[in-house]
Amino acid sequence: MPATDYQGTSSAPFSNFGRSILSLRRDQVHAMEGAHDGGVQVDELEAFQRQVADLFLNLSSASASEELLSLAWVRKLLDSFLCCQEAFRAILYNNSAQVLRPPMDRLIGEFYERSVKALDVCNAIRDGIEQIRQWEKLLEIVLCALDNNDQRALGEGQFRRAKKALIDLAIGMLDEKDSGQTLAHRNRSFGRNSNSSHASRDHHHRSLGHFRSLSWSVSRSWSAARQLQAIGSNLAAPRGNEILATNGLAAPVYTMGSVLLFVMWAMVAAIPCQDRGLQVHFNIPRQFVWAAPLLSLHDRIVEESKKRDRKNACGLLKEIYQMEKCSRLLSELADSVQFPLTEEKEAEVRQRVKELAQVCETIKEGLDPLERQVRELFHRIVRSRTEGLDSLGRGHHPE
Amino acid sequence: MELPESNSTGDDKSVGFEAAKKIILRWDSTASEDAKEKMIFESDRQEADLYLQAVDEIQRSLSNASLSDDRSKATTIQIAMARLEDEFRNILITNTAALESESLTDPTSSSSVHSHLSSRSSNFEPEEEFILNTEKLLELEHCESADSSRGRSTSSIREMDLMPPEAICDLHAIAMRMISAGYLRECVQVYGSVRKSAVDSSFRKLGIEKLSIGDIQRLAWEALEGKIRRWIRAARVCVRILFPSEKRLCEQIFVGVGTSIDDDCFMETVKGPAVQLFNFAEAISISRRLPEKLFKILDVHDALMDLQPDIEVVFDSKSSDSIRVQAAEILSRLAEAVRGTLTEFENAVLREPSGPVPVGTIHPLTRYVMNYIGLISDYKQTLIELIMSKPSTGSRYSGDPTTPDMDFAELEGKTPLALHLIWIIVILEFNLERKSKQYRDASLGHLFIMNNIRYIVQKIKGSPELREMIGDDYLRKLTGKVRHAATNYQRATWVTVLYCLRDEGLHVSGSFSSGVSKSALRERFKTFNAMFEEVHRTQASWIVPDTQLREELRISISEKLIPAYRSFLGRFRSHIESGRHPENYIKYTVEDLETAVLDFFEGCVVSQHLRRRSQ
Repeated sequence: MPATDYQGTSSAPFSNFGRSILSLRRDQVHAMEGAHDGGVQVDELEAFQRQVADLFLNLSSASASEELLSLAWVRKLLDSFLCCQEAFRAILYNNSAQVLRPPMDRLIGEFYERSVKALDVCNAIRDGIEQIRQWEKLLEIVLCALDNNDQRALGEGQFRRAKKALIDLAIGMLDEKDSGQTLAHRNRSFGRNSNSSHASRDHHHRSLGHFRSLSWSVSRSWSAARQLQAIGSNLAAPRGNEILATNGLAAPVYTMGSVLLFVMWAMVAAIPCQDRGLQVHFNIPRQFVWAAPLLSLHDRIVEESKKRDRKNACGLLKEIYQMEKCSRLLSELADSVQFPLTEEKEAEVRQRVKELAQVCETIKEGLDPLERQVRELFHRIVRSRTEGLDSLGRGHHPE
Repeated sequence: MELPESNSTGDDKSVGFEAAKKIILRWDSTASEDAKEKMIFESDRQEADLYLQAVDEIQRSLSNASLSDDRSKATTIQIAMARLEDEFRNILITNTAALESESLTDPTSSSSVHSHLSSRSSNFEPEEEFILNTEKLLELEHCESADSSRGRSTSSIREMDLMPPEAICDLHAIAMRMISAGYLRECVQVYGSVRKSAVDSSFRKLGIEKLSIGDIQRLAWEALEGKIRRWIRAARVCVRILFPSEKRLCEQIFVGVGTSIDDDCFMETVKGPAVQLFNFAEAISISRRLPEKLFKILDVHDALMDLQPDIEVVFDSKSSDSIRVQAAEILSRLAEAVRGTLTEFENAVLREPSGPVPVGTIHPLTRYVMNYIGLISDYKQTLIELIMSKPSTGSRYSGDPTTPDMDFAELEGKTPLALHLIWIIVILEFNLERKSKQYRDASLGHLFIMNNIRYIVQKIKGSPELREMIGDDYLRKLTGKVRHAATNYQRATWVTVLYCLRDEGLHVSGSFSSGVSKSALRERFKTFNAMFEEVHRTQASWIVPDTQLREELRISISEKLIPAYRSFLGRFRSHIESGRHPENYIKYTVEDLETAVLDFFEGCVVSQHLRRRSQ
């Protein structure tokens, strides 16, 4: 792997050492080890890089049960983050003296600033999870309406009930910019001869307007896209002189910062939140062992976001897609049925309902644990930052 | 028009059923303009009753009827439920609007201990500035006794009537029908969405903002202080009035249909707002540890602590676990923040790099620290419980010149908080010592120390709580240091001056005068005069703010200076007066000197020449 995309400014030439992230000459590496007091253990740093790489490779190999961007996969992603975080914390702990010395103290301070910005993303994601819950509740109405368990024939009444909920869902899942158009559509489709001149008196309309504006607990000006930009600002691979000056610790700091950015970015991609923008650049030198798997995941997610039927999605979570698809199919079905239902139609409805029930089940099971994980992420980030800042504070002696 | 009685057995009570169906179809809003325009429950009572009876009739027949009729009945029911949902929503919305004009006020009266105290920590506006007019709610004002200690019962919870009873009745009637027809989910959803918007608008009225952690970090401290005050008041209203009132409303509307339903509705309504409310406190607990924030963080901590029992009561169901847990987490983070901030304060005092002040007076750092310590003792009740470990003094006896030493062994039996206070004073002293060495004039350095430590002593003596925590032993130590500094000052300034007035070196043997070297004597007088003038000029501009100390110091100076001068004059004036221009050498009388001493430490610039009464 040629080091073509790495701009090193240090005078030492950079040669490849296969998996050695530091890409320093062996003698330079040895010079760091055992340098003055408590030299950093290079093995520890390399182990960390490998661990991160392994976690990302694992995430890349999406199995059937943990398809990319499914709830299960997102939870795996968060777990991976927590692992990295713990390993990173251990490194800082084991090298606490080095951490206090410049320029490492500045680098770690920047990292903590970055991690605070991630906290707002965590909170926004919790909001998004709540949003998904609301949608799932609407689907439960549909299931309740069309569930044929008690063997009664499905009639117009049940379909009207289901349709009402499906329309609410469609509106709820819209991107804000499209909502005006579809509200009008809803008024029209709702009754055989109602017209939209009474829109102002349409109580549904009023409360649905609420649906969107109330759902975010952040101010209107908050933007997930901007927050991600802020997390990623000035995140640049450490130069050779920085690595030397920090006895190698600059590398794990950069790694952790990149992991943080990626995880936050992926969450924003998957879960609805205010002003979701996915334009974040990941400029990671290929020497880092984890760069390839992380970047490939990034590319796959970006690709997913560009697909025709996912372009306007409010979240790339697989289960959201399934909700959309199932509910759309059911909607079309509901629009097309004549009463009484033919056996064929009834079978089709039953099939769709079954699929929908499956999605609801998955969501119901997965959302609560996901929310807890996000909260755990929040806690760990706070704790690690508090510990870190406290020890930085202690370490500063008067002039 | 009365519906005919339906018999419990048998066939399709078609008369009752048909009439009922007609009513329901008449009110199908998708079918007729008229139905869409009017609301059943806004019309007269009879219409509403009739409609409900019609629904009941359909429901009854649905459970008894044969399969063949099912579909049309199911459709009728759906039409009825859709209609009821609209009615439900309408009643909620209409009666919610009425509520929003009610004013909300903090149930804690302004005589509570901590709100009084918080006035000392910042420029504080009266509690009343926030309170809007409150006819109905005045009775709620006085529910708190002046004792706002923790762990009290939740008699501080007051539920308000959010809706008129007729509305509640109607809502209940509708809810019953919807739930028994299996339309519970729709009911809960409508309820949640309307009531949540009501809670949101109350939040806006209370001044609760949607601030992100980033927003809060970027706020200037004064702005944040204001928001914290507002939040504390708002949180009390939310936890003690707003949320319980919503809870009660749910209970009233969903009475008799199973407890988990009213729980669900309550959670639908308040979960989001509650999390938003607590997010603010959480953001405060995460923010950077700046020393000046300590007391506001304590205020938030105490407010939340106070609200804990109420939070437990209001959020007592399983589904509200996460809220209770979050509140507890935030409380413990706030406690951590308090500890961290105190440590940061200690570090800041140690590091504070400014130079000494001119004229040796009280350094702003000393004032700041003593003020801070005073506030710490005001918040003693909370801090004693929160501060659980001794100060980390880093290198004790390490010989590290950058941190002071402190022997905790001799401070057995003191609470950690008291140890911290003493440590803070130790650090302050250490810093002051460092500053004092920067004076070019060593005497001024000693004066500086004397003044500042004296200030510390006086502050401690002036506060019984502080004195009790710091203890008389340490106080004695400090007082000793004042004395010691005064002695150092005197030595530094006056030894050389008084040296001029010594006997040795003046007597010469074998001279034909009386054994005194006139030239040496003249030198002495000249030197003394010059030195004294210099000292007078300089030290008149110095300051000893403490009146008593100033007096004592002057007296102490006089006690050494005056007798020495008097005796010197007495012994040797004749020798000078017998020579030429005695006035050049004996410039000052004893009285002149006595007067001059009075100028010392006044902090004013005196003219070059001393007043002379001589000649």
